[in-house]
Amino acid sequence: MEGFLINWITTFPNFAAPLLLACMGLIICERAGVLNLGAEGLMVVGAMFSVMIIYSGGGILLGVVGGMFAATMLSLVFGIAVVVFRADQVLSGLVVVALGTGITGIVGRAYTHKPIQGIEKFDAGALGDIPFIGRLVFEQDPLVYVTLFIVIAGWYLLMRTNWGLRLRAVGEDPATADISGVDVQGMRLVAVMISGALCGLAGVYLAVVSSQVWVEHMVAGRGWIAVALVIFARWNPIRAIFGALIFGGAESLTPRLLAIGADVPVYLMNMLPYAITLLVLLWPYIRGRAASSAPSSLGHEFLRQDRH
Amino acid sequence: MLNSVVLTRRQKIPLALRASTFVLGLTVGFLVSCVVLLMSGVPLNAIFSEFVYQVFFTSLGQSQTITTATPLILVGLGAAAAMKLRFWNIGIEGQLWFGAMASTWVAINDIGPENIRLPLMMLAAVLAGAFWIAIPVFFKLKYGVNEIIMTLLMTYIAFQLVQHLLFGAWQDPSTSFPVSAHFDEAEKLARLGWGNAYTGIWIALAAGFAMWFLVDRTRFGYYSNAVGLNIVTARSTGLPVTAVIVISVLLSGGLSGLAGAVITSGAEYRLTQFLAHGFTFSGIVIAFVARFNPLGIIVAGLIIGGIYTAGETLKVFYSLSEAVVVLIEGILLLSLLISDFFKTFEVRIRNLKGN
Amino acid sequence: MSKAMELSGIDKSFNGKPALTNANLEVEWGEVHALLGENGAGKSTIMNVATGVYASDAGDVTLDGKKLKVTGPQMATELGIGMVHQHFRLVTRFTVAENVLLACKDQLGIRTTHEAAEAINAKAAEVGFPVHANAIVGDLSVAEQQRVEILKVLLLGAKIIILDEPTAVLTDQESNTVLEFVRKLAEQGNAVILITHKLREVISYSHRVTVMRGGETVLVGADAENLTAEELAAHMVGEQIMAIEPIDAEPGDVRLHIENLVVPNPIGGVGVEGVDINLRGGEILGIAGVGGNGQQQLADCLMGLADADTGKIELNGDDVTASSVRKRRSDGLRFIPADRSQSGIVPDMTVAENLAMTGVPDGQYGSLMSISRKTMRADAKQAIEDHNIMGASPNRSSRLLSGGNAQKLVLARELRDNLSVLIAHSPTRGLDVKACKTVHTSIKNAVENGAACLLISEDLEEVLSLSTRVAVMSKGIIVGELPMQENTREEVGKLMLGHA
Repeated sequence: MEGFLINWITTFPNFAAPLLLACMGLIICERAGVLNLGAEGLMVVGAMFSVMIIYSGGGILLGVVGGMFAATMLSLVFGIAVVVFRADQVLSGLVVVALGTGITGIVGRAYTHKPIQGIEKFDAGALGDIPFIGRLVFEQDPLVYVTLFIVIAGWYLLMRTNWGLRLRAVGEDPATADISGVDVQGMRLVAVMISGALCGLAGVYLAVVSSQVWVEHMVAGRGWIAVALVIFARWNPIRAIFGALIFGGAESLTPRLLAIGADVPVYLMNMLPYAITLLVLLWPYIRGRAASSAPSSLGHEFLRQDRH
Repeated sequence: MLNSVVLTRRQKIPLALRASTFVLGLTVGFLVSCVVLLMSGVPLNAIFSEFVYQVFFTSLGQSQTITTATPLILVGLGAAAAMKLRFWNIGIEGQLWFGAMASTWVAINDIGPENIRLPLMMLAAVLAGAFWIAIPVFFKLKYGVNEIIMTLLMTYIAFQLVQHLLFGAWQDPSTSFPVSAHFDEAEKLARLGWGNAYTGIWIALAAGFAMWFLVDRTRFGYYSNAVGLNIVTARSTGLPVTAVIVISVLLSGGLSGLAGAVITSGAEYRLTQFLAHGFTFSGIVIAFVARFNPLGIIVAGLIIGGIYTAGETLKVFYSLSEAVVVLIEGILLLSLLISDFFKTFEVRIRNLKGN
Repeated sequence: MSKAMELSGIDKSFNGKPALTNANLEVEWGEVHALLGENGAGKSTIMNVATGVYASDAGDVTLDGKKLKVTGPQMATELGIGMVHQHFRLVTRFTVAENVLLACKDQLGIRTTHEAAEAINAKAAEVGFPVHANAIVGDLSVAEQQRVEILKVLLLGAKIIILDEPTAVLTDQESNTVLEFVRKLAEQGNAVILITHKLREVISYSHRVTVMRGGETVLVGADAENLTAEELAAHMVGEQIMAIEPIDAEPGDVRLHIENLVVPNPIGGVGVEGVDINLRGGEILGIAGVGGNGQQQLADCLMGLADADTGKIELNGDDVTASSVRKRRSDGLRFIPADRSQSGIVPDMTVAENLAMTGVPDGQYGSLMSISRKTMRADAKQAIEDHNIMGASPNRSSRLLSGGNAQKLVLARELRDNLSVLIAHSPTRGLDVKACKTVHTSIKNAVENGAACLLISEDLEEVLSLSTRVAVMSKGIIVGELPMQENTREEVGKLMLGHA
């Protein structure tokens, strides 16, 4: 039992990291007032393009950067639609999912089920031998540490810098931000592209670290779980860490149980991450705290009140 | 640079502008799709022959388009019923799965006498689809829970439930595939004797006309219009707002569930693993293209059905992924969303240098 | 004194409709210059030209002797023009210091919230206008928020300070404080432009006045001292609009009885914290008070749009506390909501459909499975005629109606049939003089015909001119109730501040 728990818990970061990366991107985007439901599509694009580059011999670093870049470009399409052309944010987000699925379906056909050499976990030597803590803290893959750094840096950027203040002002009260000289549309475009890059990195993680292969439908709703996680975290990156660990833990339970040969209904167990997300999502609403934490102008287009 | 663009929301939108932006949006969407297909290695003449001639002008193509369009029209109507009330039903696939499961349950357990078996399957599907959306609508109305995420996550749960059944209790003992046993003759919708087209199309058309009557000719339609356009005023003038939302959204789930039963009983004759795939987005695209008009949805459903049919052909002859269909749908929707901008706003470039 | 700002020959039109025609304004250093006019007279438009929000079609802007083109709010700030908008430009979830930091944008060497707090405290001490730098703006009173706005503008180095209706939502006492402060700013050498429609403020606090009417400046830079209220009013309105006559009706039987009503505020903040009201036919009970003190929750709860925690509402003697909106309506309760386009009409439906909204559930336009648009149109035609709704036809979109005519549409729908109690919440907000007069006359006629009216309004003038009794609402309770008398105005002001 103890061995199982340790094995299980040490996999938490591995399952939590992609959720956390996507969630961090979405928090920045939503704090600027743009509802981005396209995470699922951005993640697929990140995953597929990174595998494509690595499989074609581009190397891991280029693969990671390329995956992020591709997702950023797709998010730019979304950004232009909702920020410049004031398209409906919900429908445009669904469009991103469709475009991501479509593009990767067509381009990725040649790379499906072709294993790649991905990123491996650290071997921390003696440090890894420290009971429990050793494997949990020191023997993760490099991107887990990068993720943690990104989230903490993101929190600092958002909550402690003038740039973050301006970004949050854009999401709270764009008219006031505008009159204070903040470029509302530019800020929103940047926020959307950051979410694209981070969701792309989340997809890269799934493909290059977790599965080391590209398969269609491999993101399997994790983008949507990240969207729910934003609400659970009440738009706060630090709370998102805990949320991601909970969801990551739920997700990693099934493979761990199967690994020890437990006789569990696999497909019912597979529901767990979605069901837990659902239950956890209800919580802030039932306590009445979801609506009051959301950025005030989330989902609303900004029109300057000038009529020349 | 962006700030030199000045937007004014139009108070009055002339019909000509409405029509021209719509046509422009569709045209650009189709043109961009053509470019994407060309880049994927499909020759130009093949695009026209597959997407226009084969699909809409040959008997085989027409019958296949009608077959594909049957459930699409139903999910389009379902999407519109909820979206009109500003309820985002992003869980159409989940409700469709529930409809498919319910109809399969009735069929493989031989519930009720054979002569009413099909109506029973349809009824069970409608109820199951409505049940699966009743949960998010309850939480939305009671606690304001975001229905987008809730309906979506419930789709994944529904899919895992289907998997659980197909790899377990419902697996056809005669095969090792994850499919249910074949339906009996009394559990199949009749073929029209024209390709694979089946009587499900009459169900879809009837649903379309019934929705049109409901929306255009009844008090309920007036209510749903008012609630959808301004819920606050509807509430303060004493309209039965909650009832209207609940009925419309349950109808949305019910129609999606019905689509599931139509597929199991008319096209697949059993429950399979992938039959619901892609219906949420297609339903939303169809509803949006038709601007929620039920008769328009029938037309849009046929067009999207044609794209599905052509997509199948491309898959076989040009080894393109079936994802090409969802890509085209995405491009079309995006193009229409952007063209709406020119309808909604008057755009001028501000001259910062002088007057 | 030398000229601080001169606007001459300004033309500006929106979609072909002239909003400003040959408008002129000149303001000198060291003066409070009142810009007087009714709603829609062009006051805000001309100021938006001065601050570069709008580009004018013709005319010149001269600042401190230099002719130039103000190309945007940022440039205006750099030129030392600061505007305190009627709707504050403050992010309510940020602290005062964060708001100042946001506005400063690395100027003035302010780079952190700490520096911003220091700067605002220093400025506040300098001008004798205390604020809490670390308070969340949303927690501050309206008057405090306004101070923050003024301090912000001063910190940004404004020498020409424009205040847009600064006293619109303040009590008389609070207004006096801010107006005296405005005088002081002018004495220090700044130029202050005071946009207002209150004659009192012109006469008591301004040096000179420019009056606008219909987009033109009908009186430019006249000495305020030499003008009487009557003269100013004549310039402002053009044709004389008679003040409304007092209600001529004897109080009848009790129509609305409210007992210890408590209604929570769903988004936090003040709700209704225990209100008792008795309202008779032939009475207008005015509820004065600064907005956000539970008025919205009171109106919503009376209509059945919000649930009461405790308490009782009786309508014509029947307990309706738990009744639906529709039941209350059929018992004669009617509603003019505070925000027409949000909660009074459905802008994207036709005029006929909007007029029919209350009739459809009662089956006036067909049974459950039908709807008679023909009857709807016929009824609408009649209502448009009866209420003189300009620019309306049954099939026209209601979005195309002007504010005043949209309100006439609401009145036409709400005042018909068995009206017993009318809840009117800010019924004339944003309307011009003539439309106000029409709305007031309609309400008055209804009350003289026996209806009872609860008039909830932030506009003290409106409450005082229309009501038969006045109550003051503050922090969710009725802090006092007065009959209409000579000194009611002053007493109401005291009550609003909690000084009585």
